[in-house]
Amino acid sequence: MTKHEINFQTNAASEMNRRSFVVGVTAVSGGMMIGVGASTEALADNTKSYPGEQTAGGAEFTNHIMITPDNKVIIRGTKVELGNGVMTSIAMMTTEELACDWSTVSAEYVLPNRDVQEKGVYSRSGGLAYFAGRSTSKAMMEQMMQAGASARERLRTAAAQAWKVPVAEVKAENSVLSHAASNRKATYGEMAQAAAAVKLDKEPALKPRSEWTVIGKTSRKRLNLPLILDGSAKYGIDIQVPGMLYATVRQVPVHGGKLKSYNFDAIKAMPGVKAVVVIDPSEKRPGLPAGVTAPFPIESTTGGPQAAVAVIADHFWQAKVALDVLPVEWDSGEGAKWTNTAKYYDEIMAATKDPKANTLRSIGDVDTALKDGQKIQGEFLTPFNDHFVMEPLNGTALISNDRAELWFPTQHPQQAMYVTADETGLPLDKIHVNATYIGVGCGRRVYGDDVRVVVAIAKKMPGTPIKVIFTREETTRQGRYRDLAAASYTAVLGPDGMPKAVDVGQSATRAIGRNLSDTPYAQNIPNFRVRSKLFVSNILVGPFRGPVYTSNLFFLETMINQLAENAKADPVEYRRKLLANYADPGWVKVLDEVAQKANWGQKLPNGTAQGFAMGNWAMAVTKEGAPVPQTGSTVAAIVTVEVSRRGAISIPRVDVAMDLGTIMNEEGVRAQMEGAVIMGLSSGLLEEINISNGAVVEGNLDTYRLLRQNDALLPQEIHVHFGGNTNHERFSEAGEPPMGPTPAAFAHAYYRATGKWLTRQPLMKYASA
Amino acid sequence: MSFDLKINGKQVSVDADPQTPLLWVLRDHLAMTGTKYGCGVNQCGACTVTIDGVAARSCSIPAAQATGRSITTIEGLSPDRTHAVQRAWAELDVPQCGYCQSGQMMAAVSLLARNPKPSDADIDQAMNNICRCGTYLRVRAAIHRASQLI
Repeated sequence: MTKHEINFQTNAASEMNRRSFVVGVTAVSGGMMIGVGASTEALADNTKSYPGEQTAGGAEFTNHIMITPDNKVIIRGTKVELGNGVMTSIAMMTTEELACDWSTVSAEYVLPNRDVQEKGVYSRSGGLAYFAGRSTSKAMMEQMMQAGASARERLRTAAAQAWKVPVAEVKAENSVLSHAASNRKATYGEMAQAAAAVKLDKEPALKPRSEWTVIGKTSRKRLNLPLILDGSAKYGIDIQVPGMLYATVRQVPVHGGKLKSYNFDAIKAMPGVKAVVVIDPSEKRPGLPAGVTAPFPIESTTGGPQAAVAVIADHFWQAKVALDVLPVEWDSGEGAKWTNTAKYYDEIMAATKDPKANTLRSIGDVDTALKDGQKIQGEFLTPFNDHFVMEPLNGTALISNDRAELWFPTQHPQQAMYVTADETGLPLDKIHVNATYIGVGCGRRVYGDDVRVVVAIAKKMPGTPIKVIFTREETTRQGRYRDLAAASYTAVLGPDGMPKAVDVGQSATRAIGRNLSDTPYAQNIPNFRVRSKLFVSNILVGPFRGPVYTSNLFFLETMINQLAENAKADPVEYRRKLLANYADPGWVKVLDEVAQKANWGQKLPNGTAQGFAMGNWAMAVTKEGAPVPQTGSTVAAIVTVEVSRRGAISIPRVDVAMDLGTIMNEEGVRAQMEGAVIMGLSSGLLEEINISNGAVVEGNLDTYRLLRQNDALLPQEIHVHFGGNTNHERFSEAGEPPMGPTPAAFAHAYYRATGKWLTRQPLMKYASA
Repeated sequence: MSFDLKINGKQVSVDADPQTPLLWVLRDHLAMTGTKYGCGVNQCGACTVTIDGVAARSCSIPAAQATGRSITTIEGLSPDRTHAVQRAWAELDVPQCGYCQSGQMMAAVSLLARNPKPSDADIDQAMNNICRCGTYLRVRAAIHRASQLI
């Protein structure tokens, strides 16, 4: 019987019934161990059904903080909630200084239009730092905390003025202002109006980190949790606007092709059908105003539209049924020359061997050093994957000649504004983007190519709100896929078994060397070279949670595992040697933590083995391509694989440890690590997008396989370890790094159990061959 | 065409093509958007409701086939999020992006209704819903927890 566990840390402050639950569950399901996490604070509710919707009627201190007369604290941040808990983290960091009662807190978004009106004050740190899901930058944190501190001081000052007492005697704690000597109290809500008008002589200094009581000290449940539990959270696909019509779209199956013909007459009498709309990529877009640049590029491969035809009807189902029977002909164009997936793989593998590829890093003299000694070689490949965003692509737009309003599940509301401006010619200050909750982003919803399609359709029926829903099939076939990538290497070991010379050629649909060319291992490899060649095809690619990182980590770590196994050395010990004297202690720390907690090196029964891999996401790099210590998030994983006598494969256990510097919200980080382990395994073990004559084959779950609850490959236990964390002052990212190591660790374990190396993903395709 | 449906204990009248999947009647005609569209082909479970207490994938059921039956959606589990499944989901902080969770919870409700103390193997069999964010182990733990709270 399988047993499934997740390992939480029990917190001493847990409620009574939670502790008894720990015991009870152990008894009931025989061996199941759950300790529950530390989120003991009373559940705070977001009051609005999506974060782009704004509470009105409160006193606004800054655009980041509003307090209502009934004592609700509205915190507005620029980071988009992806399910990574970042909306809640932003509220937490603000309350560190604001000293309010958490149960009164509600989180919303700063609207990007407001950023335009206020001359970009919310996006000073650059395109990615604001208005996008992902890391919490130091500059943003300080802005939020300063807003909290300022509001707190203004509240104290307002109370002092009202009570005619010195400010220094007024305490602000837990949303209550008090003056002990005169026994007076007021809630923040009662003082908010007066406080918002206060001008401070001097802005307060922030608390030193040593005095933090919230960040890194408490765990909070996500603010939108109640809305998810009762189905009231509004995702983009849920938005309804009065007078709205629905549309669904079909884009050219071969990326880059053209629309040849369609026959509206065949469907125009069908129930509810209102119109057919064409998107023509060759139509001249109005473009952005002179001198204005979008945060992300706007071009045909990212933000520009594919040729498409859409049906608009009263209801979605009517539009879908009509579009399914609409006669349409396409002109496939250049893309059709890509006859099948194997052609892509053959060509990209050949590209990894191109001696004229761009050198990303070069140490010593690899060509000479490789002449001497026995060569070890390998080839690796990771295929296109689809994001399979749970919420199919969609958006709602109301376009008129002087205004545009969007309700959109976008990861980047600011980019959405720019794409809309480019498509309509409207000035930015006339464009309003109301960002909704998102049913999976993972990079698919950043560039705004979906915004482009929705606006291109809606602008054809000005004055009518149009909700465009892409079917699942359309969402899958018009992806911006995980990069196709491949690598080949030649290496020679020294007499001590350590690498003497390593030469790596890599090719990918975006030629990036992260977690390959920038590896800290290289400082202990006398001759090391990484070259990279851009691979060009018609297939549209885009950022897929941990872009190019997951591929490069698979290549690098499998290569290192192969070299270690070749040298008959322990691969974990091998890495300790490769990391010797590296100035970031986090690398060896996470390695030691996970090796110890997973009991690396234990004797396991026949057919069961452990494998190891590690890496770093968001690491900074010098201009020579060398790693910058104490940057990014370092993560290590050990995967235990069991192969039965009959060849059935399962994963009894995964151990994962990460160093991201300082942890803001432990529960949030824990959840990201668990989820990324599962998504990383799904991607590396099972997922593959195939192409036939230039068109994507897979459309839905009948052909695109994802890891499921009842899959034998779902890890039975996931153990998340925090002992590898260095508590360095940086707050590095949690969501993308743990995507990296598990497929490589799986492949390593599989080798140790069976003697066979899996070097191409999806690993399971080749495991049973 | 007009037909009646009994949803969360209330009779509602719907004017739609009776072949429209129940999912789209709920979402577009009745503005009940808690039940989600994920695949449309009975493969992901995001559209799960219960019909006469049993999990049903509303994307694959023509609405008119549900007349005369008792339909429960996520909105009808409780007036205040106190259903055992909702409480267990809250305790264990199950959701990440949350989009699949209505369907997960409804599938769990159906499982627990017929099997109040499910084993891991029972959960394997009943819970085929996709979660892209990877909350499977927490979903599993929450079902075990909910079975204690019922």
